Amino acid sequence: MQLPYGWIKELVDINWAPEELASRLTLCGTAATASKFIETGFDKIIVGEIAELEEIKGSNHLKRAVVNTGDKMVPVVCGAPNAAQGQKVVLAQVGAVLAGGLEIKKMTLCGVESYGMICSERELGLTDDHSGIMVLPDDAPLSQPAGEFLGVDDYILKFDLTPNRPDSLSAVGVARDVACLAGQKIKRPEYNIVESSYKCSEAVKISIADPQACPRYAARVIKGVKIGQSPWWIKAKLLMCGIRPISNVVDITNLVMLELGHPLHAFDYRQFGNREVLVRRAENGEKFTALDGNEHILTPEGLLITDGEKGVAAAGVMGGLHSEVSENTTDILLESAFFNSITIRKSRIKLGMTSESSVRFEKGADPNMVPEALNRAASLIQKYAGGDILQGIVDCYPKEINPLMVDLRPDRCNKILGIRISSERIKEILNNLEFPISRINDSSLTVAVPTFRPDITREIDLIEEIARIEGYDKIPTSNRNIGPLFTSIRDDDRLRQEIRRALTAQGLDEIYGSGIADPKMLSRVAPDLAQVKIINPIAEDLSVLQNTVFYSMLRAVSHNFAQRNLDIRIFEMGKAFHPQKNSAPAEIEQVGLVLSGRTNDQWFAKGREHDFYGLKGAIEALSETLRFLPPTYIPATHPIMNEGESYDIKIGDKVAGLAGQVKQEMARLFDVKQSIFAAVLDFEVLLRNRSNEPSYEPLPRYPAAPRDIAIVVDEAVKVGDIIELIKETGGPLLERVELFDLYRGKQIGEGRKSLAFAFTYRSNERSLESAEVAELHNKIGQMLKEHFKSEVREG
Amino acid sequence: MPGTEQVEQILAEALAAVNAASSLSDLDAIDVKYLARKGAITSVLKSLKDLPLEERKAVGAAANSARIKLEETISAAKSRFQQAGIISTFDPTLPGIARRIGAIHPITRVIDSMCETFRGMGFTIAKGPDIETDYYNFEALNFPPDHPARDMQDTFYLENGLLLRTHTTPVQVRELEKSKPPVKIITPGRTYRNEAISTRSYCVFHQVDGFLVDEGVTMGDLKGVLVAFCRDFYGEGLKLRFRPSFFPFTEPSAEVDISCFLCGGKGCQLCKYEGWLEILGCGMIDPNVLKNVGYDSEKYTGFAFGIGVERTAMLKYRINDIRLFYENDIRFIRQFK
Ligand SMILES: [Zn+2]
Repeated sequence: MQLPYGWIKELVDINWAPEELASRLTLCGTAATASKFIETGFDKIIVGEIAELEEIKGSNHLKRAVVNTGDKMVPVVCGAPNAAQGQKVVLAQVGAVLAGGLEIKKMTLCGVESYGMICSERELGLTDDHSGIMVLPDDAPLSQPAGEFLGVDDYILKFDLTPNRPDSLSAVGVARDVACLAGQKIKRPEYNIVESSYKCSEAVKISIADPQACPRYAARVIKGVKIGQSPWWIKAKLLMCGIRPISNVVDITNLVMLELGHPLHAFDYRQFGNREVLVRRAENGEKFTALDGNEHILTPEGLLITDGEKGVAAAGVMGGLHSEVSENTTDILLESAFFNSITIRKSRIKLGMTSESSVRFEKGADPNMVPEALNRAASLIQKYAGGDILQGIVDCYPKEINPLMVDLRPDRCNKILGIRISSERIKEILNNLEFPISRINDSSLTVAVPTFRPDITREIDLIEEIARIEGYDKIPTSNRNIGPLFTSIRDDDRLRQEIRRALTAQGLDEIYGSGIADPKMLSRVAPDLAQVKIINPIAEDLSVLQNTVFYSMLRAVSHNFAQRNLDIRIFEMGKAFHPQKNSAPAEIEQVGLVLSGRTNDQWFAKGREHDFYGLKGAIEALSETLRFLPPTYIPATHPIMNEGESYDIKIGDKVAGLAGQVKQEMARLFDVKQSIFAAVLDFEVLLRNRSNEPSYEPLPRYPAAPRDIAIVVDEAVKVGDIIELIKETGGPLLERVELFDLYRGKQIGEGRKSLAFAFTYRSNERSLESAEVAELHNKIGQMLKEHFKSEVREG
Repeated sequence: MPGTEQVEQILAEALAAVNAASSLSDLDAIDVKYLARKGAITSVLKSLKDLPLEERKAVGAAANSARIKLEETISAAKSRFQQAGIISTFDPTLPGIARRIGAIHPITRVIDSMCETFRGMGFTIAKGPDIETDYYNFEALNFPPDHPARDMQDTFYLENGLLLRTHTTPVQVRELEKSKPPVKIITPGRTYRNEAISTRSYCVFHQVDGFLVDEGVTMGDLKGVLVAFCRDFYGEGLKLRFRPSFFPFTEPSAEVDISCFLCGGKGCQLCKYEGWLEILGCGMIDPNVLKNVGYDSEKYTGFAFGIGVERTAMLKYRINDIRLFYENDIRFIRQFK
């Protein structure tokens, strides 16, 4: 919603500048910003009169006009088809800047000099109308600044209102807050009605079939109106509120809605042939054509205003096409009603449209504003469109809605806010907000909450009103609760931090996937896993939750590959969602790791292709940092991984995840044309198997005896098996064995590899004799020779 | 027979040769020519025994000092050449040799840093599921069915009446249900909104919500905690502004702005020339919420607040597109090592 600053000033006597007013409103919960309605202003744009108008030879539409500005005659070239001698117009003189940013300069067109421009509404930034120049009333005073004359050289307050404040959706509502801040009373718009002797109740009968949905429906009938243009001041106000002027009657209903916050609707009275208005639920399948020309098929969710039979308006949302006020309308039925907010909400969701009216009813209108809004509008219609107002209001209000009585304890208010506001000040604030106090005793006040504040039903709601008017800045800051309770970091968070530490130390970057996936792609990535569907997705390719972090990791690889970031080393800690039979989907936290591409060449070393060993190394770093058992890799089939390069990762006897090289076709599916090595680990398994604290072992007291063994074996022999045999044979005196060289080459023959191991022998009880080391080392050498049928060199 | 003059002449000749030498091998040759077993100065020393005693002493002394002088000179020259050799390969401007360190995602950074601040104030951390029921996400938090407040949070719905939580506030309800006051908790986590994706909004984001329930908790306490948080997280010297707002689960509710840390409140592009940056929403927990979890709202009061993580990261690092957080371009992420 937006309102001109000047309108608020009409209602409350303040001298705050627009920005200050906006800021004060913001700090009391009615968030507003102030800006000029027409940013470029109206400098050198004035009222003039076309004194002369003549055709320009050689042009088929341009004319030469001479504009009288009161003190001079300004020659101007004008192309508007509606220009005529004697019209009062808006003249932008040389040097003026129009709303679109165009600066007016002296020009020569078709050999004729032009010292300005006669403006259209669009050129002034008022409407989109560019069909011709804007023609002002004959009494417009020459040379008056046009912005001033039109009443549009003003600031606009733009509101960003919260859903709980229906009362602030109008000029009077905002002015009520302003008056309260300024400690003043608001000047309510007045009206004066002259009624004819013919009774309105004879012109229309009103009945409500569902008083729950429509607690009140009132109408006036005005006969003999003349539909035409609104006066300028009404148009200007509507324009500044962002509403397009249509005709005097419609404009007045909109104006009163903006002024008092109560939506009104004007019908062509001729539509009510049986002189009857019936408010009822729509029938299933009932058709209704709205003002916008669209036909809607209704359900009983919708509430209709009918002429007794057919629908003439979707109650509170939009009028019907056929009952609209048109230029031929002479008699009108003016509706002022109160509809239930939930009814309107359901109805407008079903209809798929919102209007200024539905917004106000949905947030909660005031049932007791019905007659005032009706009378104010009727008086304006009579003044600007003429006609006879039939006598009386036909008001169907089966059950009066009265102010709610709410008790407020000033002491409670102070306890919640942590402030000391006196009871006197509390009463003053309530009074200024137009909340009458009906009873006062020692410890509490009984407040009659006006029906324009349906959001206020409890003591706490009143406390909020007092806090926002008093100002949150008045609440003293208390430091009682910023310490000193002690809290420690959670185990799972500590594990997350350690995982991040280990993996970033291995050079992996952390990523965050959205977790929302394309079902088709996801079923390729995880064909064996069911998916959790989103019923109302943003788009088809964002319509399920991922069931493995592989999905978001592959997405990230895909993005980076496309960006030519080819050295990809990433990890993610994210959730995988798995549907369950009889409960909510399981949320499984996973740690995903991906290596893809190659490292760059560097001056001291050649780059290398990422491979399975790099992935395994990162997982080893995790097992060392988190202190869980070294993982083992058990060949297993996973649809996403290459056959033969696909493993289950086990920690002890628990399956903790899987690892392998992603199938090339899967990589291609994500437009990646390089190898991808990926692993995923189950966070819960890591959490259960890690040990929090390192364990200490005393440093060795006796010297170590280092030895080497080199062995040439067939490619088929696995290093892990050799190391296992060495350890088994070495027994307790073999402290450590490590592979330090792997060689393949012509010298040792095709299909074979040479492996060199470093041995450390040591006893914790004594210094080892070299003979006993030699014997053990020999024994290991012998064992390897026999077992792997290989050549062994000891050293 | 050699005399002292001859020794001096040999020395002069040798020193000149050292002077003219241009490589280590030149110096080695001079060493052989003068100082080796058959070298010129060695020969002089060898021939001393044939000289009369007087002369032997004089020539001997001259030859010895010539030998020492030449040895020193050659050695000095050698080390000069050797040093020159090293300088020619050493270049301190070559890049250092280091292992690549991975980067922590900025969302992790912001969440960890917020949690650290709040843990320092005695808040414990609680978590809950991403998939929630309508009750925990809305009803228990005082969002009545068919209330316009539900439009504030566009929701993704799953089957069986479940939904993706639109805030981490449901964890507040779950924790209050199973605890006794005082309860002082923050709930970092992932949330979802069914909004069109743009530079300013994404379907997924993170929140750090927090709350405290105890006897006698006031709005002044809420201000105290948030002022302390802002001081720790954003730095000293910033102004805070609490302005009334609306959330169904708090009453009174407030939006908190800090004075723009870029322009100091004078107005700039970051703060859209308003001088203030909106950083979080908060308020006193609505009595209905306390009733829903079985607390006596006359006895206990509490406050709650919610901070958007991406929004905070965008302000703090001046990131202009929220989608960057989920696109995972490593050139972006690696700026947060
Ligand atoms: Zn700024």
